Amino acid sequence: MKRWFDFSTAALGAAVLLTASGGAFAQTKGGDMVIAITQAPPSLDAQVTSAQAARNITLQIYETLYARDENAKPVPELSEDVKISEDGKTYVFPIRKGVKFHNGKELDAKDVVASLERYRKVGASAALLSAVDKVTETGPYEVTVTLKDVQSTFLDNLSSPRAPIAIYPAEEAAKPANQINIIGTGPFRFVEYKPDSHVKIARFDGYVPNPKATGRDGLAGKKEVFLDTVTFRFMPEAGARNAAFEAGEVQLLETAEGPTAKRLEADKRYVVYKVLPFAFQVIKFNHAQPPTNDVNFRLAVQAALDMEEIMAISYPDISQMDGAWLYPGAPFYTKTGTEKYNQADLNAAKALLAKSGYKGEKLTFIVDNLRANTDTATVVQQRLKDIGVNVELSVADWPTVSKIGFTPNGWQFWAHGYGIEPYEGPASVMAPWVNGTSQLKKDDKIDSLYATLNTTMDEGKRKDVFVEFQKHMYDNAVAMKAGNYGLFQVATAKLKNFKPYRIPRMWGVWLEK
Amino acid sequence: MSRFLAKRLAGAFVVLVLVSLMSFAIIWLVPGDPTAAFLDTSATPEQVARLRQELGLDKPIAMQMIDWYARIIQGDLGRSILLNRSVTAAIIERLPVTLSLAGLALVFALVMGVLAGVVAAVHHNRWPDQVVMTLALFGLSVPDFWLGIMLILLFAVKLGFFPTGGYVPFTEDPIGWAGTIIMPALTLAIIQVGFVARMTRASMLEILNQDFIRTADAKGLKRAEIMLRHGLPNALIPILTVGGIVAGALLGGAVIIEQVFSIPGVGRLIIGGILSRDYPVIQGGLLFLAVIYLTVNLAVDILYAVADPRVRLE
Repeated sequence: MKRWFDFSTAALGAAVLLTASGGAFAQTKGGDMVIAITQAPPSLDAQVTSAQAARNITLQIYETLYARDENAKPVPELSEDVKISEDGKTYVFPIRKGVKFHNGKELDAKDVVASLERYRKVGASAALLSAVDKVTETGPYEVTVTLKDVQSTFLDNLSSPRAPIAIYPAEEAAKPANQINIIGTGPFRFVEYKPDSHVKIARFDGYVPNPKATGRDGLAGKKEVFLDTVTFRFMPEAGARNAAFEAGEVQLLETAEGPTAKRLEADKRYVVYKVLPFAFQVIKFNHAQPPTNDVNFRLAVQAALDMEEIMAISYPDISQMDGAWLYPGAPFYTKTGTEKYNQADLNAAKALLAKSGYKGEKLTFIVDNLRANTDTATVVQQRLKDIGVNVELSVADWPTVSKIGFTPNGWQFWAHGYGIEPYEGPASVMAPWVNGTSQLKKDDKIDSLYATLNTTMDEGKRKDVFVEFQKHMYDNAVAMKAGNYGLFQVATAKLKNFKPYRIPRMWGVWLEK
Repeated sequence: MSRFLAKRLAGAFVVLVLVSLMSFAIIWLVPGDPTAAFLDTSATPEQVARLRQELGLDKPIAMQMIDWYARIIQGDLGRSILLNRSVTAAIIERLPVTLSLAGLALVFALVMGVLAGVVAAVHHNRWPDQVVMTLALFGLSVPDFWLGIMLILLFAVKLGFFPTGGYVPFTEDPIGWAGTIIMPALTLAIIQVGFVARMTRASMLEILNQDFIRTADAKGLKRAEIMLRHGLPNALIPILTVGGIVAGALLGGAVIIEQVFSIPGVGRLIIGGILSRDYPVIQGGLLFLAVIYLTVNLAVDILYAVADPRVRLE
């Protein structure tokens, strides 16, 4: 017994020493990290673009009043907290004191007011603040937002990372879209943007972390930076990205194709991460055109499709079969109402098709040239052939397809991903179907459910509203969710403490020497 | 000579007007606009309309076209919607990159192509001829993007001789510049090497069968002297024309190579413009490439006229 005690004590002591010394060594500041990204950001003015390529960079530089935690719940970031009036229309935000911008200026209420006002004018998702009546500076470090009507999702909107409501210095917020100097309060400061080449950011040594934060937590939390610089290299060509990664010029592939991820997984020098779920694969119907304006036709298609087949072919090894219109783990996530998901029942489909007005005419499936989307369209085309539906694919680049897809003519089906909406929450998932934006015909039920969700403060009742929406989507085959898909990210094994997230967070990570 | 020049310049001007008209028309025939790059799929029609208005895309096409011509007459290619800066400035910024890539590729193509062609012609119908012609055919057949990726895998990933991509300006680090430009330039040149080699070989064979070569041979001149002093200079005259075509093809090919090697040149600017429907960039970029192409061809025409006075009479 004595011998055991001695041994265990010694082992424990050694382990503590090793951990302590290892940790101290590993977390030493320094290192230049290069991330290969597929496209250049259209702008680094965070407020004016909702492009993913932009927010992956801008969310390292800028911060918002509220930000999303690990489970996408809004939590205070530059605001200490919020006081909401009893009528739910007034939000008082005490601003954190001592927060520094990258130009050394201290953040105050004027900056917040100017930034929110700018977003209302030029923000890419200005509708996020459409409920705002006025934004007032009610103290040097206090901002009061008054809403026109109750909006239960106001804090969700304020913390949305889609086109972030980033807080700029007031003098920058006074400038028009795309004409600002890139100055934020985030843990990284902007260094340079070489068009068609890269964006470089560096650790902001004057960063003032949120004192209430304890650890890395979504896009909020403790943001401790160890790296000296991070360079986002724009590398549209997959072969070039992979080569640069394997040659050691790049330390993180923001996205890698399945076969590459599989090949690299076997190599100890690399670590493959799965960001799953990253998005939904959705097949949309054009409700403004026959026969997809016919509910029986849509239900027939919904009954026919084998979603497992679609996901297995479109996203091999990185998909989840899930009919819910939110990500698993989200506060409102439920499978209630999704019973009609993935029926793969050709007989039921034929019966429904017979009830529809479809007469064998050729239908158009528009799809962009992203491999997974064309695969989805091809699988749907083949499957629908089995029930006698004649589908023709029309493949073009994304700007072309997205232009056609928001016009009522020239298409019946359209497949693409929805990524940020389910992350943001139920209101964002419903929003694309409000006013018939995506299906091109107004759906009064959805419009009414959306209005109720937005004005109901009681969480239990809002959950019920979302269940009703989900059920409506399936009962009327408004659109079809095929499943969840993810992204492979590959990093050098020297990158430590990296945890994949929607936006590759460069705080809290370090490069082992 | 001045009449010859005036004729050529007038022809070039007509081509430029046609190119500018066509580039404008093609872009507007394809649906899609830059708002897709700024906004995601859930953007409302109001958001799209507002952005279109901000970007000036809501004006009638005729108005946009008048604006475009009014600007280019003043040498202004417009303002990039996505880069938020002058297209002329964006092109000038990237021009040294593309010119150094295409220029070095031209040197590679001409030197290697002429040498290979001469070797093939001198050893006509023997094994060096067959080897050179087989390699030339390979060079002509292989897709440049595939070759680029293979060269990256071999020389950058496996052997580590060069970086996999990117660009270092010559003024910042000449060695770094050479490291980033040699492999893409070689990739770009390979196809043209095959073309130049075949042209040189054919031209040399034609010259080598001329009476003056036989006379030189009969006079007892050394074979190398016949080739280098009498054969090659005469055979090079048609190669001048080939040089013009090759230079144009290299500029066009640079668009793909810049993409493969992540080189921030004019080609990548234009591709980015096309993918995001940045109309001023596409229009300005195409017009600019046309100007370069026409300038090179004009220079070749003049050189040709200088080298062969018969051309002026025609």
